[in-house]
Amino acid sequence: MPRKLMLTLIATAVSASCLPGCTPLSPWQRGTLAKPSMALEPTPMQDILSEHTHGSREAASAGSSSSGGGCGCY
Amino acid sequence: MNKPILTLLCITSAIFFIQTAHAVEQGNIIPDCKLNSLSDAKTTTLKQFQGKVLYIDFWASWCGPCAKSFPFLNTLHDALKGDDFQIIGINLDENPSDAQDFLAKYPASFSVVSDVQEQCAKQFAVQAMPSSYLVDRNGIIRHIHLGFRADEAGELKVLVEKLVAGH
Amino acid sequence: MAVTDRVRYFLKNGFLPSPSKRKPAPTVSPSLQALTVAALALPGLMLPAAHAAEEDEVNFQYSHYQEGKRKLYNVKNTRNPIEVESVVGKARISLTDRIKFAFNYIQDTWSGATPVTTSPLAANGNRAILADTPSGKTITTGASPYIYGQMLLNKKFVPIVVDQQGKAIGRTFLPVHVLSMASPETRKQGDFTLGYEWDEAAVNIGGGISIENDYESRFGNVNGRWDFNQKLTTLNLGLSYTNSDTAARIDHDAEIYLVKNAYDQQIEKSGNINVLRGNRQDWGTSLGLTQVLNKTALVETSIGYTRSTGYMENPYKATTIVFADPKTLGTDFSNPNAIVGQVRAFLEQRPDERNQVSVGGRYIQHIGLLDAALHLDYRFFHDDWGINAHTFEADWVQPIASTWTVTPKVRYYSQDAADFYYPYIIAKRAYSSTNPNKNLPANFSSDQRLSAFGALSGGVAISKKLSKAVSVEAGFEYYTHAGSLKMDGGGEGRYSDFNYYQANASLNVNLAALNSGGSSSSGHAHDHHGHHSGSHGPAGVMFGHMLNKTNEVMVGYRYMYNRQAGEMLHGTHPASDQAIRKNACLTGYTKNCRVTPTEMDMHMHMLDIMYAPTDWLNLMLMPQFVDMEMNMRMLDGLTYNPFQDHVHSDGDHSAHATGGVGDTGMYALFKLFDKEGHHVHATLGLSAPTGDVDIKLRPMHHKDGGYIHYGMQLGSGTWDFKPSVTYTGKLNQWSWGAQFNATTRLQNKNGSGYALGDIFQGTAWGSYHFTPWLSASVRGVYTDQADIDGKFNPVQGVSNNVLVKNVNPGSKANYSTGPMDYTGSYGGRYWDIGFGLNFTVPSGDLQGNSLGVEWLQPVQDDVNGYQLDREGALSATWSVMF
Repeated sequence: MPRKLMLTLIATAVSASCLPGCTPLSPWQRGTLAKPSMALEPTPMQDILSEHTHGSREAASAGSSSSGGGCGCY
Repeated sequence: MNKPILTLLCITSAIFFIQTAHAVEQGNIIPDCKLNSLSDAKTTTLKQFQGKVLYIDFWASWCGPCAKSFPFLNTLHDALKGDDFQIIGINLDENPSDAQDFLAKYPASFSVVSDVQEQCAKQFAVQAMPSSYLVDRNGIIRHIHLGFRADEAGELKVLVEKLVAGH
Repeated sequence: MAVTDRVRYFLKNGFLPSPSKRKPAPTVSPSLQALTVAALALPGLMLPAAHAAEEDEVNFQYSHYQEGKRKLYNVKNTRNPIEVESVVGKARISLTDRIKFAFNYIQDTWSGATPVTTSPLAANGNRAILADTPSGKTITTGASPYIYGQMLLNKKFVPIVVDQQGKAIGRTFLPVHVLSMASPETRKQGDFTLGYEWDEAAVNIGGGISIENDYESRFGNVNGRWDFNQKLTTLNLGLSYTNSDTAARIDHDAEIYLVKNAYDQQIEKSGNINVLRGNRQDWGTSLGLTQVLNKTALVETSIGYTRSTGYMENPYKATTIVFADPKTLGTDFSNPNAIVGQVRAFLEQRPDERNQVSVGGRYIQHIGLLDAALHLDYRFFHDDWGINAHTFEADWVQPIASTWTVTPKVRYYSQDAADFYYPYIIAKRAYSSTNPNKNLPANFSSDQRLSAFGALSGGVAISKKLSKAVSVEAGFEYYTHAGSLKMDGGGEGRYSDFNYYQANASLNVNLAALNSGGSSSSGHAHDHHGHHSGSHGPAGVMFGHMLNKTNEVMVGYRYMYNRQAGEMLHGTHPASDQAIRKNACLTGYTKNCRVTPTEMDMHMHMLDIMYAPTDWLNLMLMPQFVDMEMNMRMLDGLTYNPFQDHVHSDGDHSAHATGGVGDTGMYALFKLFDKEGHHVHATLGLSAPTGDVDIKLRPMHHKDGGYIHYGMQLGSGTWDFKPSVTYTGKLNQWSWGAQFNATTRLQNKNGSGYALGDIFQGTAWGSYHFTPWLSASVRGVYTDQADIDGKFNPVQGVSNNVLVKNVNPGSKANYSTGPMDYTGSYGGRYWDIGFGLNFTVPSGDLQGNSLGVEWLQPVQDDVNGYQLDREGALSATWSVMF
């Protein structure tokens, strides 16, 4: 059962993530994405602390964090 | 059976998406695109700067490296200003008032215009923020620089000086 | 289950009626139950792959975690629940435009009562501690853990609850956590990351180490990020490795009551103590994809896999196994229909291998109407221990009025139990001491972390931007763990519910913003910092310089380390053990000392925040966090008494530790004179007693311990006035200065009954600048501190089943004391010489940051009473002005 669930999840995630490959966004149109509230981790100090605490009380390990989004500046 | 193929196609297109617009490259002539003034409704075009060495800088208020580039651009402007050289900061904020706020915090001694209608941005096919285009007196793009890092500013200055000196 | 009425009876009354006196049965010594839960959270695997912030930044954070009391049902729970005090310091700096360096430091100090095992209510795992009052009554003052004994079960193997006389009053399977107190322990972790950034990619490598008394973990990781599609798509790949060693000290007294045959190979003798050693390795890998969907939304998905091998148990947790041999039916004459079960606690056994997979995603949407962002997260976790878990989280990031951001958060978590999780086991056969594990499952654990439950938590984070470079943030989270919250039901019973809250505050300094802005800013900044580059005194001098321009702000961090070790001194001369024994502990049970300190380490983390409202007045706030550790030994010629002495055993070097927020200082600096290189300023300061002074020793050997000695309390407990006067001078490459400062207590005694001695200090220094940004200093210091006034208030407690008026060290009931328990052995006159270095970043993005370090070498100590010699003190500071 969990296997099927996993595969479905991955498939959904991947197909969902490639939808935009078809609707392009120009580099100068990222003003909203660049807002601090839109960052993948808008409250990093809080997140690190709560992941640390949750990890010591729960069996599941926290997911690793990624980077991306934002202003896309060079 | 079709689902995996569709997914694969979609992934490929997402990752290797190619800019279909005509990208402006080194060696091309700069397009003659319309620009707006930041404060009033006046419009202008790039053509009017013909004959000068140009440093065209596409920037926006939300772009961190842009803030870092302003001190360098100000210094460059103060050093080389004159009839022969012009820095044009083309602002790409959707809301020009954001640009005004930015300029209040980080003043610019060079001329700043707005491209709120995305005309120049599209015609130049700007690839990244910020982007700098060094243009010689004949309107030919001699160098395109993506992004800004303080260590690389020196190179840009040398290139500009070369162009001004007539090479 | 037919006996909920009985359970309600216990809940209502709290404790059993008319108890009779009996010999104290064996308990598990508290030292066995020291906490390592934080360590088991695997620090290395939880490091973020690539931190979101792109700009150079320094952050400081303090947090407090507090659990609620657990249900014990048949006895009052008077133990303090788990509490954690933490401080975090992080810095991320760009060494060059493309090379980034980050380092993080975190320390947690844990204390409180934790479940050591779970046993049937009928086994009476938490037994009331009974004490006789002087008036002849017997009262209960708390509960003590029992893990070995007997209990009754009926013919159908349902545990039978009995009263004090042995009469059956009901049957129930109801389990209950058996709690034991842990002494405070501090865990420290440091890690670094070095990264290189290309235009569309980045690579980071990092490593770190986490250390606590019984657990050490080393980790390394590498990760890469690739941007595609004009940075609309980002791919992240990470790899990590962690190697951890456990060295758990099994307490001498509790050992005989624990079944640990499975670990015979891993237990080593170290002096008098047996140490359980284990090693574990974890390999982790993760893959993530971030995709911008449109102008206002993005999505992120990731998948991670971790493989762990080795010793993964918690060495302080045991599973209770009741051996109910049917042949014992009727052998208890007062309960002829009952089976007599033998209650045993086995150290838990977990598989040697664990494979975990987690997959999840996040969706972020900008809400234009409110200019807010909604973050939705889901994560699914699966491992081969039988645990599936789901995490749902939603955050609403709401900026308000350009400088505030309020972020409410809610989270729901649900997990299955591990295949080998049992609250306790009833084995329907006799216990075999030659082969205890016969016919038992290969793996068993009653660790709550592996049980089936759901957790719901809600919180909020508020941040305020004070200036373009400084922002403060505060956060709060309330979390509740309950079996009934599990998705699809089937969670652990209510006995296992608990909740906690966590509050934190942080200060963030954006280093990039300090030197940016304006055409003239770089020139301006250079002048500005050039002016100040010479004005930093040695790192150990506080209030040594002022800010000269209105609205200037300075943020600084100071670390101070103090160490005492070596010989014991009396006055200026070394003291012999015999002299200490006879003279240093004049009140008390035997009027002799029994123990003496061998070493004491004190670490202080201080934050200085200074603001200049005018150019002649500076205001400063100085919060601090302190942690201390101390070791003792028996004095020569005395034999260690395992039932009385506070040293854990002969030759044992276990430490006493305390840690938490210290006193907070508030200062006003007034410029008195500033001309031609000479400057004089006066400081008026007030120290607020925010540091605890009522920390007590945990009960040991059936005795409550009273207050831990004066030197281990975290603050002074009194409001203190701290005036000082400072002079600095400068000529070319030379600078010099002098300062007189004092600390006088504004109260005669603090809440615990005493007041520290007043302090007077004079210091003078000279520095030489090799370059405008590097200088070295030499300093002399004289300090005079009076001894302690008053003494600890009496603490009522239980000693050998009798309620006594005072259990403090030094009192009649407390047999074991050392010089540090006496007020006369504090204070003295000290001469030190200091050697320091100061460095200011001269140019570039980090211009204006200053670092200083100073070592204070004791030259002469003239101590009051009997004290440990000082080895020295180290001060290290970082500060930035803007």
